Amino acid sequence: MWVYEKKLEYPVNIKIPNAAAAKVIITQMGGPDGELAASMRYLNQRFSMPYSDVKGVLTDIGTEELAHLEIVGAIVYQLTKGLSIEEIKRSGFDTYFVDHTTGIYPQAAAGVPFTASYLQSKGDAITDIFEDMAAEQKARTTYDNLIRLVDDPDVIDPLKFLREREVVHFQRFGEALRTVQENLNPKNFYAYNPEFDRVR
Amino acid sequence: MADRANMLRRVQAADFAVEEAALFLDTHPKNDKALAYYKAHQALRKKTVDEYERLYGPLTVFGNESQTEWKWIDSPWPWEMED
Repeated sequence: MWVYEKKLEYPVNIKIPNAAAAKVIITQMGGPDGELAASMRYLNQRFSMPYSDVKGVLTDIGTEELAHLEIVGAIVYQLTKGLSIEEIKRSGFDTYFVDHTTGIYPQAAAGVPFTASYLQSKGDAITDIFEDMAAEQKARTTYDNLIRLVDDPDVIDPLKFLREREVVHFQRFGEALRTVQENLNPKNFYAYNPEFDRVR
Repeated sequence: MADRANMLRRVQAADFAVEEAALFLDTHPKNDKALAYYKAHQALRKKTVDEYERLYGPLTVFGNESQTEWKWIDSPWPWEMED
């Protein structure tokens, strides 16, 4: 189970609304490399993962991704609070506004709604951990791009925190991969799938 | 309310230290330095959280101390601007 802590993992205090920034940052909620996909990927991969330390990594990183989803939601919420219709029209946020007003909805920057097809749970330890490492790098690149697109330091600050967490998570998944490989046949990592085949 | 925000920042910092140590310990479960770091920050986190909850209300649904009021629902919620 989970227990909600009534705080953000990292503070968000944005003084100046900016609908154009919100329109691209929303992609880290519901986009292909966003936090919703990340949390669902790790928290679902856990069940069939045979190694205790890797179960721990998937549980703890998956949980932290939920906290990141909340941070991104807070950023988008504060960026769109108190906007005038003129600002909404001028910024291009009108295409989001027409469907969601200023409610928070998980979608990619280009408007595609969140879909579970952004993530995989393959039931094979090596395959899943490689996916996870790639996912962390893809999310890191997305934060790099967002930081390039935004110039408000109040927005950049939490984005930099989130970017840095992707780097740390990549490191932990790299260590998890080492555990997986150490448990497999050292001459052939692909001799059997530890999540399905009987271990020989 | 600036005091609350400052106190919350201390909770966030203490929490983060514990979470980061926990993640490292997942893949280094016998690392002495990491275990010592975890223990020190676990104690600091508990002290900081207890102090925050006493002054500003519950951080989790398990932390409501008032016998006359359900403080859990009090504003601000985390996504709202701090003063």
